[in-house]
Amino acid sequence: MEKKILIPIDFRVESLNTLKYALDDLKQEKSNIILMYSEYISDSITELLFYDPAKKIRELASSDFNDAIAIINNTHESSLHTIKIELFNGLNKNAFLNFYEAHAIDLIYLPKDYCLKPHKNGFDPTPLIKKSKVEYKEVAWASDLPTTNKDELTQLFK
Amino acid sequence: MSSIRKITILLIISISLILFFLGSSVYYFLSNYSYADFYKRLEVSVSVAEKRHFESNQKDAQVLKNIREEHLELLSDEKEYILYCPSETAIKQIAETNSIPINLLNLVYTQKFANFQKDDIFYYGKKRETPKGFYFVIVSAKNYYNSHHLILLRKVLLVGGFISILIIIYLTYLFSKRFFDPIDKIITKVNSISTDNIHLRLDDIKNTDEIKRLTTTFNNLLNRIEIAFETNKNFISNASHEFGTPLTAIIGEADVALLKDRTPVEYKEALQKILKQSERLNKISQSLLFLAQIGYKENKFNYSIIRTDELILQANEIMNQLIPKNNIKIDFELLPENPKKLKVMGNKDLLMLAITNILTNACKYSSNKPVIVSLASTNNEIVLIIKDQGIGIPESELPFIFDPFFRASNTAAYDGYGIGLPLSQNIIKIHKGELMINSVLHKGVTVQVKLPIAIL
Repeated sequence: MEKKILIPIDFRVESLNTLKYALDDLKQEKSNIILMYSEYISDSITELLFYDPAKKIRELASSDFNDAIAIINNTHESSLHTIKIELFNGLNKNAFLNFYEAHAIDLIYLPKDYCLKPHKNGFDPTPLIKKSKVEYKEVAWASDLPTTNKDELTQLFK
Repeated sequence: MSSIRKITILLIISISLILFFLGSSVYYFLSNYSYADFYKRLEVSVSVAEKRHFESNQKDAQVLKNIREEHLELLSDEKEYILYCPSETAIKQIAETNSIPINLLNLVYTQKFANFQKDDIFYYGKKRETPKGFYFVIVSAKNYYNSHHLILLRKVLLVGGFISILIIIYLTYLFSKRFFDPIDKIITKVNSISTDNIHLRLDDIKNTDEIKRLTTTFNNLLNRIEIAFETNKNFISNASHEFGTPLTAIIGEADVALLKDRTPVEYKEALQKILKQSERLNKISQSLLFLAQIGYKENKFNYSIIRTDELILQANEIMNQLIPKNNIKIDFELLPENPKKLKVMGNKDLLMLAITNILTNACKYSSNKPVIVSLASTNNEIVLIIKDQGIGIPESELPFIFDPFFRASNTAAYDGYGIGLPLSQNIIKIHKGELMINSVLHKGVTVQVKLPIAIL
């Protein structure tokens, strides 16, 4: 039975550590991953008319971020079935529960100490997920090693 | 200026041609239509006249006349002729008495009906045959529309076309000036930058078009040139310093030894010191030579397929011999499952040299604090990350760390002469890889090496 895992991200390499530790935690269990980025959807009707989630994801994902996903994918090639990035535009608990059911999520992993730093128009869905009374696990990683503020691939190596 | 002129002329020619075709087609089709329409009206008049004369009694003729007067617009200078012609020979005489062009009558005679134009008078004629002979029914009129409206239209088209060409000339000049002025400015500014004032940059432009991109490109180019200049200057001063220190030591030692007669033991000691410094000199010049060789021998190395994880393990063993107290930790947590994604094409000795150089630096400048070596691979590159917790590099000196003989300002307490990192970078470069260095002062340095995965 493949498990469907949901992980909130902020399109920064550091947030993918949640994925790294979640996969360690799952231990070779076959899994499908959904990386969820939350953002407020625009009010403008013209912007909505040309709204394209795939394009949005392409814009947000830096090359380092894509490299980091590729690294994790290569590391867990046998157990990891798919990794998909989805945008979540809901505002409240019910919207999140809808998303949760629509994607048939089995388990959510949240970062314990790391606070998601979303880009413009994005928001941190962690409080919403915690409020929704669905099953989640928290993972923590040490961030004591020197890091610059820049978003870069090295942040995956901790 | 020549491009402004070129664009202006090109635009003017093309737009004038378009305007010319548009105007002449409007004029041509409208005048064609007006002729056809006018002859149709003459034809109607002719058939009404014919009916009135030949096919109706007195009363009907009156009715027809009334209808015609009330409902059909009278054409300007409209004249109606009903001419009896007993035979063909009388045609000429009829024409002369009524001052009607003889050609028209001939045409009508042969074709039964015809239209004809003489000067600005238009004719339409029809032949009506009766038992007594035949009649010509002819209506003539002036084409008011043609003589007035079309002339007006022609004037409007000519004047309008001329004015719009003037406007186009002005606009194209304005637009091309707007486009080319910034380029002119850039050219003047770039021309004014020489080796003396290489620190000058082009002014930032607010908008986001190609001109802005051009300015940024120029500025980036100038940055790189400035760094190259700086590098050159640094290299000379650093190299003379590196060569100068042992030389001064040798000269000083020899001077002191020759000051007075010494015992053989003292001479031996002095010579040994001189030998040590000379060896150091030799090492520096050899490594410099090696650095230069890597630059131009690019294609002469033997390449083979190398597994990077093995390479790192072997480098670790070498490090254990070189610096026995080292604290290198190898982290293979993110190693890919597929070993094919760890293989690179390269020269093993060179890559080993590059990695051990980086590792030596990491151990040396962190005084054997833990150094973490991690290896991972994306879909087309292997990523090697070496993190230390050493003294770091001041941010202002980061652009120069790949210069030969350059040493950061905080490295005075550590032995070295600034060849290792440039050598490593050259090696990675000839393997088509990337060497990136990030640093936080006093906290450590992160070296990131990317090498393309071998295509098997």
